[in-house]
Parts: sequence; C-alpha cells; structure tokens
Amino acid sequence: MKSVFPMLSALLKSWLRSKTSIFFSFLFPAMLLIIFSTIFGGTGSGEYTLFVQNFDVENGTPTELSQGFIGALESTGVFDIQYLDKDVDVRTYVKENPSFYYSYRILVIPEGLESNALNKSMSVRIGVLLDTFALLEEQFSTSMSESDLESIRTGQTMLTAMELYMRPETPTMVLLTDEQDMAAPALAGLIHGVADAFSNNLIGTEEVVALTSEFLEQRTLEVADYFLPGFIAAFIMTNGIIGATSTISEYRRDGQVKRLAATPLPKISWILGNILQQTVLAFMLTGLMIVLAWVLFDVRVIPDVYALSLIFVGAVAFCSVGMVLGGVIKDVEAANGAGNAIAFPMMFLSGAFFPIEQMPEYLQTVAKFLPLHYFHDGLLQIMIYENPGQSFGAFVILGVFAVLSILLALKMTKWKEF
Amino acid sequence: MPEKVIEAEELVKRYKTVVAVNGVSFDVYQGEIFSLVGPNAAGKTTTVEILECLRTPTSGSATVLGLDVLKEETQIKKRIGVMPQDFNAFERLTVKENVELIAKIYNVKPDLKQVLGELGLWEARDRKFEALSGGMKRRLGISMAVVSDPELLFLDEPTTGLDPQARRETWEVIKRLKRIGKTVVLTSHYMEEVEHLSDRAAVIVQGDIIAQDTVDSLISQYGGGFKVRVANRDKKVEELFTQVAEKVYTDENKVTGRFPTRQKASKALASVYQLDDKYVVDIVEPSMDDVFAHLAGGRVDERGELI
Repeated sequence: MKSVFPMLSALLKSWLRSKTSIFFSFLFPAMLLIIFSTIFGGTGSGEYTLFVQNFDVENGTPTELSQGFIGALESTGVFDIQYLDKDVDVRTYVKENPSFYYSYRILVIPEGLESNALNKSMSVRIGVLLDTFALLEEQFSTSMSESDLESIRTGQTMLTAMELYMRPETPTMVLLTDEQDMAAPALAGLIHGVADAFSNNLIGTEEVVALTSEFLEQRTLEVADYFLPGFIAAFIMTNGIIGATSTISEYRRDGQVKRLAATPLPKISWILGNILQQTVLAFMLTGLMIVLAWVLFDVRVIPDVYALSLIFVGAVAFCSVGMVLGGVIKDVEAANGAGNAIAFPMMFLSGAFFPIEQMPEYLQTVAKFLPLHYFHDGLLQIMIYENPGQSFGAFVILGVFAVLSILLALKMTKWKEF
Repeated sequence: MPEKVIEAEELVKRYKTVVAVNGVSFDVYQGEIFSLVGPNAAGKTTTVEILECLRTPTSGSATVLGLDVLKEETQIKKRIGVMPQDFNAFERLTVKENVELIAKIYNVKPDLKQVLGELGLWEARDRKFEALSGGMKRRLGISMAVVSDPELLFLDEPTTGLDPQARRETWEVIKRLKRIGKTVVLTSHYMEEVEHLSDRAAVIVQGDIIAQDTVDSLISQYGGGFKVRVANRDKKVEELFTQVAEKVYTDENKVTGRFPTRQKASKALASVYQLDDKYVVDIVEPSMDDVFAHLAGGRVDERGELI
C-alpha cells in the first residue's frame, strides 16, 4: 500500500502537464459556471411585456383616462408596455409575429372608455345616494319630521329619474392571453386590481381595506448560489466518470497497465492511486469554482469539514465508476462513449443545473435514483443553506455507493490476461 | 552446470478455440541470454507473460527463480525485471520520473546517475517520455526493467520497429547486462538479433517449440552448412564441387557448393583458387535465418510475418 503515493504523485504530475485535461476538467466547468450564472442570473428587468391597443382616442390623442390607466399599470413596475396600432388585427398580428421571448398578452381598451367611465361613475354615485336615502328612511323615519321625509322622497324621485335617463354602459377592457400562459391569471388579477383602484377613485370612495408592503430580513439566494454546488457536484462526477474511464482505458491500450502489473505494485494501489488523484482534482476544482463564484457573483462560501468530506466521498464514488468502466471495456472509444452516456444524462437529470421541481414528475422520480442528485443536494444544504444536518442522507447514499463502486472496480480491473 | 532460473513444463495456453501455446517446455540457466524466436503470433509473448505472472497457463507448470508462477506471483515480481512488448511509459513524465516511479514501487533507492548513465540516458533525464526517440524509449524501458537490480530480465521484442542504428545500440545494452551477470529472456522475430545476442534459443512456431539448443548447435544442425559461392559460372568449378561438396547449386551467373563444416568449405575455397586465382569466391556462413527456414519452411519478414 506504500506504493499508492508514488502512483498518485506520478498520475497527478502526468495529468497536470496535459493542457487538454486541464481545459476539460477545470476551465470548461469554470466557463460554464460563469456563462450559466450570468445568463440566468437575473440581469433582466423581470418585467412582463403587455401590449396595449387603445381605441379610446379623441382627436387623434388617447383620452386622459385611458392614458392614466396605462400610466397606473406602468407604475406597478411589473409591466413593460408596448403599444399596438388601432388598425392592427391582434389575432393576425400574433400569428404572424411569434416570439421566443414572451407570450403575447394584449389589453384592448375600448372606444369611449373615458366617457362611459365618467357616466358610469355618476350612475354609481346616484345608486349609492339612493341606497343611502333608503337606509336613512328605514332606520330613522320614526324620529324624523314629515317635512324632512318629504324632502328625502323628492330627492329619491329626482335621482331615480336621472339614473333611468343615464343608463350608461359599463366600459369593458379585454385582456387577450395564451391559454397555456401560466402567468396570465396572476397578471389579469393585477390588472383587475389597478382597474378596481381606478373605479374607486372615479366614484370618490376611500379604501375600506388597505394593504401595505414591508421587507423581511432574509438571505436572498442568487442563481449562482444554486449553480455553485450544482457545478461542483456535476463536474466532479464528469471528471470522475468520463475522465477516469478515458484515462484508464488509454493506459490499458498503450500497455502501461501491463507494465505496472509486471511490477510488485498491488492492484489496489493502482486503483487507489487513480481514485486519490481524482479526489485531489475534485478539491482543486472546488477551490477554483468557489473563488470564481466569490469574485464574480459575490457568493461567499467557505467549505467546512462537512463539505470537504462530502466532496471526498463523491469524488471517490464517481471515480470508482470510471475505474470500473475503464477496466471492463477494452476499446478506448467505446469506454469514452460509455462514460459520456452515463455522465451526461445524469448531469442534466439530477437537478444539478436546475431544480428538479421544474421537471415532469416521472423525471423527478428518475432523478431520485441518481447519486449525483444527492451529491448536489448535500452540497447545497451544507454550502448554501448552511444546514449540514440535512446532508446526512447524501453522506449515507454516496458512502454506500462509493464502497460498492470500489469493490466493483477491484473485481473488474484486470491485473492479468491483458 | 549453472543453476536453472526458469523451468517450464508442458505449458499450454488456450483461448476458447485458439491454442496460443501448445505444451512448451524449456529451461533457462543463470547468466545466459535465452531467446524465444519465431514469427508474430507464434506464442512467444504468451509464454513469457506466463513466466512474468501476467497470464495463467491453461495447463502445465513453471518455476521462475525456484518460485511457482501460480502460487508465488508477488515474490517472483519482486525479483524479475520486465520490459513488455510495445513498451510505454507515462508520456508526460520525464525519463528520471518514470524510472523513479518504478524504483519506488520496488522500494529501492538506486543510483539513478549510474542506472541512466549506463544506458546513455543521463543527459536526457529531464526530457519527457513523449519527446524521446524510438531507441531512447526502448533504452528507458530497459532501465525501468533493471532499476530494481533484478536477477532475471524479460525483454519482449526489445528492438521491434527500431532503425538499424538504434537496434545495434540496444544490442550493446543487452550484451552489457549479460556481462554483469544478469540472466536475460529475450523474444524476437529478428533472426540476426537472436544469433548475435543469444547463448541458447528456442524456435517457436504456432505455439510449439520445434527446436531448442545453443545458437551454434542450432546453426550447425539446421543451418544447412557453409556455402562456397563462385561468381561466373564455370565448368571446372562445377566438376570440382561435384567431387567435394555435399550439394552443388548452379544458376546463370554462379556456382555454389555446400559443405558441412567451415574447414571443408575453406579447403574447397583454396582448391578453387588453385584452379585459377582470378575467380571471385566467398564463403556464406549458415545463419539462424537458414535454421528457421529449414525448421519452419519459410522466413520471417521485417514486420515479423512468416513468408
């Protein structure tokens, strides 16, 4: 077993002198971390595009009320308002201009919004007065003088006559959305809220129920917080499976394994040397990713003993899988193919790149059978949520997986009959 | 009689339907260079890999340095040095680093300057393996095999693919190993190499050893004798050879007589000069090429194929 360390030293030196290995094991994951965190990192405005087609125009200018309504929508900070010309047929326009970036949401403001709204507000105010008079009469008629009651009745008669005369239409705006648009109901609710506030304002009522917003003191998680443990886990896995598979099969092809097997080097020393090499690389990769995330995305993570232990267990587990594949499959190209076939689906299905909650339910079930899922989740719990107690399952699952993989590697690695 | 360092008895190696080694038996004695010679796929490498504990024989038995290849693998591996066929080392490690790795595996601390110096590699000690010439790579292979100061060395096709200059350099290294008392088991398809280096050789074809002895004995038994070749075909020479030679060959331009010993050939050569000292005459000595041709019914080309 003393020969593990000379073996480890030789493998590390050899690896560190390969530009290709360094690129694919360190620089490529670092590039992806930067790209993913930048693209999905919330540099966008977070606004929803709302198209508005305003028919409520007087002398070529939108009415004051319709402009005020659009201004109120804009002031919510939720909508990015885009205007559609009155002549545009919206249904044809949507068909002819499909967009990758947003689902069409179009608010059509009808002609006569302002005048109808003003009439309607008068009608509503009259209704409120009539209701108030009726209530007064009902509650206080016994204590009121006959002349006061007569005045109230006269007023009621006049107001009823005015209400009958006005009979205004309720001005109705139309919100057109896609049936599959998941955000549409929430946005419609928001527009309703703005419309209600407008209606209240027009009829001069005050808020009966109020809502105010305050800020909670909480840790805000950024996209890079999610990607950092995800990328560390995913690339330790790919370096372990793809890297070790390709290295081992290449060493077998060019006769180096035979050369070493002809010496007193025990098979276990060869296996452990390779596994420890990947473990050292895993720690180096972790360090690089943390520095990048710290400098570029202000993700301040210092790996503790739990994180380092889980990284060790994960690196051992996944490298052992690579040792098994490299030991079993004779052809280098086939071994590389097998490594890729295992590592890439696992990388995307395990939730390392995006939360598994966003996946269909059956894929979520698949993810729960993948060791990378637990590796990533464990690192997320330890490094980001600072909750190492929640990583116990990850330690158990990866630990068992690592032991089984080493035993399998020991069985499958040929030390004879090359 | 020197001590036996290898005793192989009826070794058989079978892969499903293919018989790679078909019951070979031979001994190797301390301090000698013993060669297994034959074309590609004759079973040379399989045989030595059984002795190096890299393959398990289907049947038969073998001891290396008195140790059983089936039961005492680790002990054997500690005492032998191996340069496998198509030898490779860590490409991005230097000459020195590659040799040091093997020394650490054997848990020895050799004088690297001496080890590498004897193989002409000390000046190149900091060069990476990938930057070495073919000849230097083979010499590095030998230095990795000798760094633990083993009693017995296995060199599997040590000069295959090398240019003549690099091949001769490697021969010098192997001869030096013998001079310092090492026992060397060599495999080769180069008859000239076997003849030049070996004390004893076994001719192996299709998994069978068809002859084994000292190189001189093999040549004298199967080499077909010495040939006296006279340029310009001449009737008088033909008549002379008919009387004294074992066999006479003629073609358009020359007459050749075959003689069983060097002395008889020399005598015939003198007789030719007595007829006329203007004849152009030479003696062609028998070689391992002739031995192989006689035993296997063909020759082995540069790539090791039987033709």
